[in-house]
Amino acid sequence: MSAEVKILDGNTFVVSDDSGDIEASLTDPTGLFSFDTRFLSRWVLTIDGQRLNPLSVDDLQYFETRFFLVPGTGTVYIDAKLSVIRQRAVGGGFHEELTILNHDDKPVDLEVRIEAACDFADLFEVKDDLKKKGEYYTRVDDGRLVLGYRRETYVRETWVSATEACAVDEGGLTFVVHVEPHEQWSTDLHVAIGRDVKGATGGTLKYERHAKKARPNMELSLEKWLDDAPSLDCDWDPLKRTYQRSLVDLAALRFSPLSLPGHYLPAAGLPWFMTMFGRDSIFTSLQALPFASELARTTLVALGVWQGSRHDDFRDEDPGRILHEMRFGEMTAFEERPHSPYYGSVDATPLYVVLLDEYERWTGDTKLVRALERQARAALAWIDDYADLQGNGYVAYQRRNEKTGLENQCWKDSWDSISYRDGRLPGFPRATCELQGYAYDAKVRGARLARLVWKDPAYAERLEKEAADLKRRFNRDFWVADGEYYAIALESDGSKVDALASNNGHLLWSGIVDKSKAKAVARHLMSPAMYSGWGVRTLAEGQGRYNPIGYHVGTIWPYDNSFIAWGLRRYGFKEEAARIAAGILDAAEFFEGRLPEAFGGYERELTKYPVQYPTSCSPQAWSTGAPLLFLRTMLGLEPIGDHLVVDPALPQGIGRLELLDIPGRWGRRDAFGRGRMDVGSRPRRSAQLGVIKPEKKRLNGKAAQ
Amino acid sequence: MTDLDKSLLEALAERSQEQPVTAFNGVVRFDVKDGDRVDQWYLTITKGIVTVGREGGEPDCVVTGDSATFDAVLSGKANAMAALLRGALAAQGKFILMTALQRLFPGSPGADGLPTAGYAERQS
Repeated sequence: MSAEVKILDGNTFVVSDDSGDIEASLTDPTGLFSFDTRFLSRWVLTIDGQRLNPLSVDDLQYFETRFFLVPGTGTVYIDAKLSVIRQRAVGGGFHEELTILNHDDKPVDLEVRIEAACDFADLFEVKDDLKKKGEYYTRVDDGRLVLGYRRETYVRETWVSATEACAVDEGGLTFVVHVEPHEQWSTDLHVAIGRDVKGATGGTLKYERHAKKARPNMELSLEKWLDDAPSLDCDWDPLKRTYQRSLVDLAALRFSPLSLPGHYLPAAGLPWFMTMFGRDSIFTSLQALPFASELARTTLVALGVWQGSRHDDFRDEDPGRILHEMRFGEMTAFEERPHSPYYGSVDATPLYVVLLDEYERWTGDTKLVRALERQARAALAWIDDYADLQGNGYVAYQRRNEKTGLENQCWKDSWDSISYRDGRLPGFPRATCELQGYAYDAKVRGARLARLVWKDPAYAERLEKEAADLKRRFNRDFWVADGEYYAIALESDGSKVDALASNNGHLLWSGIVDKSKAKAVARHLMSPAMYSGWGVRTLAEGQGRYNPIGYHVGTIWPYDNSFIAWGLRRYGFKEEAARIAAGILDAAEFFEGRLPEAFGGYERELTKYPVQYPTSCSPQAWSTGAPLLFLRTMLGLEPIGDHLVVDPALPQGIGRLELLDIPGRWGRRDAFGRGRMDVGSRPRRSAQLGVIKPEKKRLNGKAAQ
Repeated sequence: MTDLDKSLLEALAERSQEQPVTAFNGVVRFDVKDGDRVDQWYLTITKGIVTVGREGGEPDCVVTGDSATFDAVLSGKANAMAALLRGALAAQGKFILMTALQRLFPGSPGADGLPTAGYAERQS
């Protein structure tokens, strides 16, 4: 199988090879997917029994691709008298325009066939190679091929049809085609989701082709999305490209929850995590707040309606808890997996309150804060009533669903991410340090909302008192005195899990760090053991489990760094924040503006380029959001009352930077800045931020797409 | 099959007094199928408080299923969202009202009073 081509619309997406064909096995993640279910696992085009060879693939948009093909097998390409174009767009299934061009002086007669089949696999089955329990059926119905699967009341169907006359059998569609010299033949193929989670949807695609060109709804909505976002201009071109890339990718990552049709929140990653995640949706919404606050609004409402309300060990649910992940596939439907939704995240709940407050600070939308008062109070109560698993007043996690639940419920969720300096792993429950920061911040912000919006000063006072008490205890119990940093976690017996990790940066962001300790923390973050020149490593070099390509034990995460920089800025370390922004933005250029989830923790001097960590999902929402948060941090954007305060601290190489029409409670405002911070990196490539002489080219308005 | 146990609906209404469905207003109708018969229940949500009756206004959301499924979901033996995904329940209209309502459904009680397993395990 050659290169994978992915296109998507919400949680519907197609992964095919570079000739547009799909030949999936149960464990092979290709096909048409929607709501975590595969709706097409075989889609093979032949002409006179022959497969086609790809000449090129054009990714037109994230929802649209064009394949140029010629007949013939093997590597030598012999006959160019025919060429074939498949243009495919996703939207409630997919639509494919198949065109055959005859370049010869003679007419041709061809048999064109599309084979179609489906295994209706759940994404979880694709990952874990599990067998199906229901029955398949296929029928030809009114000129249309119906592929179906039934297990008890669970029914899923795919409908395949064409606009040109064809013979339909249970294995596919056959066209008898005659093409005159220098003429062409064309048909539209419709692959519709016939029956899904919403029942019989009738298989309507989200576009019609009466005119010359199918125009998916997504295209219209992308144009509006880009128009609504602030426009950026600066002397350093790579930032313009990265900004544009981030906006387009964020548009692709939009997901409309079933309960809120027409409203969008950020899904976690494309294509396998195109669903609502508590943590990822909240972090990405925070990053994008100055650019698109609607994402935060939908996230708050959707997570609010799904807030936990009872005890359920299978789903790790408690009253007040914010969900971790929602899934829609067969295994979730039959409760073989707990994702309906699953609540095994310990940070999403305090972060929910943090987002609600930050959202109000930007938008002034007190109406929503009032509407979500009960949810916010329940989330704050959860911190004290259900998260104190060690019995010491700290937020900790330990799963109750030991079969299919998550073992690590913080963002560093791999098995070896939380360790002692010498590499030992602590037991459960685990109270990681950043959770205490989030809980502190949630209480402080909850108090602000209680006073300002809910008009409950007694509650505000109580929260403030609790926050102050938590801060005092935390600075005593987590501080590793001989290293002058915060331990990554605390064990039940009070032992400090004393590895030095990037979590310290999140603590700065939360505000839980004592002023007297901030300098030491900042020094660690910028030390050679942590800062590689590209960014801050998840785990410091020299720690027992350090590995520059270990998922959470040495790699550099753009998302992590964006919050670390925000934290540094909060404590007044402007130059350090600018340095981190500069490193990650330099790295972004190597990925054409699309930051990966993580890259290697190797020294910048050593590799000269950031080594990408291999992951299946790209773009990843919170990596996409990272450049947006860096912009906020570098420009020093801060809502104070009804005003937007701008206090730029930009790396020198950026030169002049302007961000126009920043939306918020002030209406729209512009921010300008000039690069004055010496971020200490030396020129390596002409376009890096360390360069003394930045490119002076200027483009008008928004960067070209 | 038997008729839907009315006390399950009354218990739900009672829980909404303690834990109201935040700020929601609307009417959800349960169409409980028993063979050819369809039994209708109106759940009227007013500022989060649910009242149950045989009659009500124009529904914003209609949930259809057999009485066994409604019984299982309302007594905490099955999860409502999973039942919807499975097609055992079908919701038409404003899905958000069903989402809000399901918060009032009880958890599944295990041996220690806490729920332990999912649908699949309880079936085997």
